[in-house]
Amino acid sequence: MGNTNNNPRGPRYSRREFLIRSGLVGAGALSLPALLAACGGGSSGGSSSAGDKTLFFENWPGYMDEETVQLFQAATGISMKYTEAFNDNNEYFAKVQPMLAQGKKIAPDILAPTFWMADRFIQLGWAQKLDKNAIPNAKNLRDDLVAPSWDSKNEYQMPYQTGIAGIAYNKKSTGRELKSVEDLFDPAFKGKIGMLTEMRDTVGLTLMGMGKKLSDVKTFNDAADAFDKIEKAKNDGQIRAFTGNDYMDDLNTGNFAACVAWSGDVLQIAKDNPDVHFIVPEEGGTNWYDTMLWVAGSENRDSVSAWMNYIYDPVNAARITASVQYLSPVKGVQDELVKMGGEAAQLAENPLMFPDAATLSRLQGWGTLPEAEEAKFDERFAAITGA
Amino acid sequence: MTNPRLLERKPETLGLSVMLILSAGAVALGAGWVSGPLAIGLLVVMFASVVTIVWVALMGGLETRRALAPYGLLKPGILWLCLFFLAPLWSMLHMSLSTKKSRFDFYPTFSWHFENYVTAVTDFGPQFMRSFLYAAIATVLTMLIGYPLAYVIAFRGGKYKAVLLGLVAVPFFTSYLIRTLAWQNLLSDEGPIVGIINRVHAEQLFELLHIMDNGRLMNTPAAVIGGLTYNFLPFMILPIFVSLEKIDVRLVDAAMDLYSTASGAFRKVIFPLSLPGLFAGSLLVFIPAAGDFVNAQFLGSPNTTMIGNSIQNQFLQQNNYPVASAMSFVLMAIITASVLVYAKFMGTEELM
Repeated sequence: MGNTNNNPRGPRYSRREFLIRSGLVGAGALSLPALLAACGGGSSGGSSSAGDKTLFFENWPGYMDEETVQLFQAATGISMKYTEAFNDNNEYFAKVQPMLAQGKKIAPDILAPTFWMADRFIQLGWAQKLDKNAIPNAKNLRDDLVAPSWDSKNEYQMPYQTGIAGIAYNKKSTGRELKSVEDLFDPAFKGKIGMLTEMRDTVGLTLMGMGKKLSDVKTFNDAADAFDKIEKAKNDGQIRAFTGNDYMDDLNTGNFAACVAWSGDVLQIAKDNPDVHFIVPEEGGTNWYDTMLWVAGSENRDSVSAWMNYIYDPVNAARITASVQYLSPVKGVQDELVKMGGEAAQLAENPLMFPDAATLSRLQGWGTLPEAEEAKFDERFAAITGA
Repeated sequence: MTNPRLLERKPETLGLSVMLILSAGAVALGAGWVSGPLAIGLLVVMFASVVTIVWVALMGGLETRRALAPYGLLKPGILWLCLFFLAPLWSMLHMSLSTKKSRFDFYPTFSWHFENYVTAVTDFGPQFMRSFLYAAIATVLTMLIGYPLAYVIAFRGGKYKAVLLGLVAVPFFTSYLIRTLAWQNLLSDEGPIVGIINRVHAEQLFELLHIMDNGRLMNTPAAVIGGLTYNFLPFMILPIFVSLEKIDVRLVDAAMDLYSTASGAFRKVIFPLSLPGLFAGSLLVFIPAAGDFVNAQFLGSPNTTMIGNSIQNQFLQQNNYPVASAMSFVLMAIITASVLVYAKFMGTEELM
């Protein structure tokens, strides 16, 4: 059943789930790799291959409104399961790899990896081509997201939400407004800074803080300074923790004075906690998007198409946007929000959801890194965060 | 079929050989050396050997059954160890000497790649050191906290002894993870403990003792060691209690009669008699604490990662199974060596 959750306390639930999972998996890590294969399926509870009237979408926490899953089920008669098992792209990859690498089926039909991870899934042959004829609403996809270089015919994925990585801060802890990436390295906040395990966001912001352009980063050497800077901050005790999507609690309680964060998450927290703010630093923020990917082995083609078509209807997309407060990849959402009136109409004017020209000019995206270079990035970042 | 009378003469040989067949079979099946029809054949052989020994026992006399009984009693434990310890251990050893062909290679190839061990020791040296340091401090702390408590329960518990012991075990009713998460709330920057410390203006003292860092308790080495101490304390209290409880209190009276002081009686009589409990407790605390990853993960910072976290990270985030396996082996080797040295030093080999 729809396990939707859009309130800021949501992550508490999702983190607990994450804990239980890491506990299970930890038991495996302590004993044997053979066990890993056994528990690798993760949330493979009850594979639902009962014809084409079921659907299982595994997504990130705080990423769905309360109604849409129910409305979709009522409208289509498809029984849908919705979970929030994504906390970190690499972690999720490692979780499903044992099954997918052997060509076995995992329980979910649709996954929500971020664009670069979606690229990896497609290259490894772990994604299926979408039935675009059954998704007429795909025409509503924002023009700037059509056919990225790694999915040039736009046949494997539909963007789910797009967002901005910038800086979130809790004014009660900082005591002042923040403006710059450099504020993350301010010694006054020693031990109160959070950074994401999402390498492209943490390193991207640091690079921009150093005055570099992401589009200029082609090899590891172009970014090496940023890694050194993050490592120094870690060794100095500046950084309290590297987190996945579970940073929201620490930000809310003020354990993090400031952290690298994703726009929509913070806007959701800010609804209830006026001390929490999100900014696109003056040096710039990264833009990214999470995809919907039809995972290899899933047989529910029609349900998958029906779902993607459903949420690419601007009316349904606007309902999700009003709740999750990310940037919608669907055209016409802004008009629908205005039609909804009230609070939703105000969101239509939020520059963090519908960026104005000034904000847009500060956003930068990562290009595709060559395989060998990406390996160096990942290895260096892992040595800093995981060691 | 073999003649039971022939076997009856050497029941020990039969018991031993059946056990060897079963052990080897369990390891071979568990480690995946055999598969397909060969595995089924092996299972048939294992089953047949069990049938044979049962048949011999039933047919034979009391003497035969007596001779076979120990092997029968050993079998479940031995099989369990072979299947769930030796077989995986072999797989891990195999993995630790393998190499990955590409970054996302899920089936590393065996290649006698000893460099994995070099990587494990050179890249993760600080984490190994930190783990053993934290585990050692936590072990000493649990001794200091646990010994007096066990002493009071054992000698002064009276009719409340069972209740007090029950209270020691009560935390086990809650999940280990939930208890660690509770500490997150207690130690958080806006939490009650930091609040009290600030109200009595003791923060300078705590900073001086390196317990607090820039006004926070959470995500510090002290928090990790504190979490380890808290979570493993019952494992220290219970064995100490068991060895104290066996001591006849009249020994103290006897010591007093011989003009010993109260503290002398404790030092020379009670404490030496409780050493086996202290030894067992320190092993039960030190070994899991050295490999623990939960406390460092949820109470620590990027500068307090322990080897358990690094192994988990290599296994589950970096997909680097070969190096992770090598790290696990190094950890196991160090723990085994240090426990042997410790046993020698403590002079309680009979526990080993």
